[in-house]
Amino acid sequence: MAAASSSSSSANGYEIPWVEKYRPTKVADVVGNADAVSRLQVIARDGNMPNLILAGPPGTGKTTSILALAHELLGENCKEAVLELNASDDRGIDVVRNKIKMFAQKKVTLPPGQHKIIILDEADSMTSGAQQALRRTMEIYSNSTRFALACNTSSKIIEPIQSRCALVRFSRLSDQEILSRLMIVVEAEKVPYVPEGLEAIIFTADGDMRQGLNNLQATHSGFRFINQENVFKVCDQPHPLHIKSMVRNVLEGKFEDACSGLKQLYDLGYSPTDIITTLFRIIKNYDMAEYLKLEFLKETGFAHMRICDGVGSFLQLSGLLAKLSLVRETAKAF
Amino acid sequence: MGKRPVVVISSSDDEDGGCSVSAGCNSSRTKSERSVGRKKCRRLKKASVLNRQLCKQGHKEEEANFDALLKDFYEDFHGHSMAPGERGRRQKLGSPWADSRELWVDKYRPRSLEELAVHKKKIEEVKMWLEEWVRTSKEQFCGHVLVITGQAGVGKSATINVIASQLGAEVCEWKTPTPTLWQEYIHNANSGTHYISKLEEFETFVERSTQIPTVILVTEYGKAESGDNTKYSEELVLSLERAGASKVAFNPLTFNSIKKTLSRICREEQCNVPPEWIDHIAKASGGDIRHAITSLQYFCLRPDLMLPLNLSSLSITQSRGKSEDLNEMSKLIINSDENLDYEFSLPFGRDETLTLFHALGKFLHNKRETVDCSALGRDLFTLKDRYKRFPLKMDSPERVLLQMHGQARPIADFLHENVLDFLSDEAIEDAWIVASYLSDADCLLSTSLHGQAWSPIVAGKHDPENVTQLVSASVAVRGVLFGNSHPSPSRWHAIRSPKLWQVEKLRWHNKKLMLLEKFEAYNIFSSYGMSVMATEYKPTLKRLGFRSLEDLQVCRKMTECSKMEVGVYDLLDHDEVEGGTSMESEEDEIEDW
Ligand SMILES: Nc1ncnc2c1ncn2[C@@H]1O[C@H](COP(=O)(O)OP(=O)(O)O)[C@@H](O)[C@H]1O
Ligand SMILES: [Mg+2]
Repeated sequence: MAAASSSSSSANGYEIPWVEKYRPTKVADVVGNADAVSRLQVIARDGNMPNLILAGPPGTGKTTSILALAHELLGENCKEAVLELNASDDRGIDVVRNKIKMFAQKKVTLPPGQHKIIILDEADSMTSGAQQALRRTMEIYSNSTRFALACNTSSKIIEPIQSRCALVRFSRLSDQEILSRLMIVVEAEKVPYVPEGLEAIIFTADGDMRQGLNNLQATHSGFRFINQENVFKVCDQPHPLHIKSMVRNVLEGKFEDACSGLKQLYDLGYSPTDIITTLFRIIKNYDMAEYLKLEFLKETGFAHMRICDGVGSFLQLSGLLAKLSLVRETAKAF
Repeated sequence: MGKRPVVVISSSDDEDGGCSVSAGCNSSRTKSERSVGRKKCRRLKKASVLNRQLCKQGHKEEEANFDALLKDFYEDFHGHSMAPGERGRRQKLGSPWADSRELWVDKYRPRSLEELAVHKKKIEEVKMWLEEWVRTSKEQFCGHVLVITGQAGVGKSATINVIASQLGAEVCEWKTPTPTLWQEYIHNANSGTHYISKLEEFETFVERSTQIPTVILVTEYGKAESGDNTKYSEELVLSLERAGASKVAFNPLTFNSIKKTLSRICREEQCNVPPEWIDHIAKASGGDIRHAITSLQYFCLRPDLMLPLNLSSLSITQSRGKSEDLNEMSKLIINSDENLDYEFSLPFGRDETLTLFHALGKFLHNKRETVDCSALGRDLFTLKDRYKRFPLKMDSPERVLLQMHGQARPIADFLHENVLDFLSDEAIEDAWIVASYLSDADCLLSTSLHGQAWSPIVAGKHDPENVTQLVSASVAVRGVLFGNSHPSPSRWHAIRSPKLWQVEKLRWHNKKLMLLEKFEAYNIFSSYGMSVMATEYKPTLKRLGFRSLEDLQVCRKMTECSKMEVGVYDLLDHDEVEGGTSMESEEDEIEDW
């Protein structure tokens, strides 16, 4: 169980991934998604967990919440009374039938109000056949065993299972929420940093705490210092400010500057996908006229499409800049 | 068996390939018999392995009379779990932790016809059918089987249980046993029990239950999607009907009946849930009462947070809808005069379309400021007039999209379906612009269809699917916002769900019907293709004056029935090959709801 790897930093030799080391072990420590977390806390206290589906984007604490909940709920019975299956386990029909059945039939003495818990992480990757088999099991053993499913999109869970579960939505974490967690880790690990460095981490995290922590750790172990430069180097992402100035150059009609900016990035070895993905995020948030933004997004989308189809050349990227400039020319009043 | 009123109930669910058939035999028992059964059941619960063994032994005695068989089944399913009715009874007995241990769906299982949230007429139909059966003699071959269809959580099983108990009949349900594990097998073999395959058990069950009225429950789902999932259930129901089964289709439950049930539960649980939340939970359940109750249980976990929130504005838009019927959900009425500008993202609720509708309302109504004060100094250059727009009266479209947890495809489709209603009548140029952006979005999205082809090298560490989704949703939404420069004056608009894929669905449906006809017209091994069916067989029939296949069938009488069954089985096999469903799964999907 994840709870085992508590925050004692006595890992000599190799480093435990911080995502694991600082995985909250109490439901209360999960940041963000206040509504969901507070209800889960009530369950942790009172027991009688209904069947749950936790749905939301990656790295928002779904797995963490379930594990913590199971841990708090069952205490030392945790090992006995929790079955955790994730996507790396084989979860075909046979496993659902056998492993889960065996577990559900297993006798574990639990205090009143408590149930054995079966955790199915990344349940949306289960085949629909396996989900079929699951829904039966859910009903048959509901008096002794409860299910917690985590997934990215709940629509990939078959309706009969959705019908038997309460849906708990998780959304992307805000920059504030990510920062608050980063600060805890930064202090515990005594990581030297400048605020702009953390900002960069948050940018690269994009609402995904796992990404944020991983990037923090990677930067720390690579450079021992968290500043913008290091973060973007480590994350192998083009520096957003660099891309932003490219966009500004296009908008200001300085096409040549924009192109040389692009060339620089390309020469640094960033892949077209890296560049276009960052470009998309920058444009999305750039303050520009509605028409320009719409056209810019559209052109970026098409360029992304072509790149994904395998046309990942420098020419595509320059072409994109040219198209963006054309858009500007079209829209500009004389 | 003699004169006892006996009812066979078998329920079938089908979904991907399988049909789950659960048959229940209702036999009336004396009270003492029942309590013995219950005691036994408790004891058995302590050692489930032992229990299974017992069942096996029961099955071994081939010559056992029917009553004994029923008893075996009874024990069998109690061994795995307590029967629904049993759970209810246990609770009444006042088991000490019944309260804190149970799911509300079990705890508040309906016990009388009044508590049943199902439409009166449907209950009546089912009841009539059962009563009819009890009244008439068993010789009557037809009408032996009743098929009940409906989406998950509309009370199919509950209805049967309640009516049966009203009639004083006992439901004996076929619940697919989970397969025998190897250890179990060894254990049984050592203790001298013969192994009986689950399929055999089921066959025996079906054989024995031919004397008793049988109800087959079919859970339909996936209707909203491509229609792929529904094919098996449709076929199953169709063939059952053609073989003479009666059918009752349960609709999604109405908003009011779900609300009534939720309120009752709140009263009994003594939790004080504000009515607007009950309303909301009822609405978000999509007519699925089990989900509604489960959501309520989850919601009640935190009574301290039951502030009215900004739900007031939410309930305005929704209650304005004249139709209370959840079937009408897809036509949620949105009033353009209402200020739709509130932040909201519900933490639960199954039906994601609800939040989708709110976002759509914002996008389609396209409310804007009337003066552009901020942008004056901002832009580096001025745009031509026709590219200028006043600022939006809402968050950036991307933020709204983020809050609604939606996928790009349905958003684009919904916009496409509805946007014309929101353009002013003369603005043909707006329509051009909107259509061209929507088609761009469509094109961007189509790449995600062959998304699997993306090599990890090209994709790097980013998820290209993610960018595709975001970009195309943005282009669709912003295209509609930008294009609609002359929003039609405020008035009521119904938002329709997209018709885009209906042709596909229809095509599939027709194809399936033709397949069936083909099997009937020629024999199974015929090599005639679909085109022959469509261009020669059907037109000929038409010319001959048969209005439909039904007419033809009437002439053919009973013998046709058995023949058709063969055809259908073959059809299922055929589909299985296509869909890649394993034989195994077909066996396994036999279950109750
Ligand atoms: N809300 C959160 N609060 C605190 N830590 C979090 C949160 N969400 C994610 N994390 C961190 O990120 C890691 C991955 O989170 P996880 O719960 O596995 O995400 P997912 O939602 O993808 O299941 C955890 O180990 C934890 O350290
Ligand atoms: Mg996870």
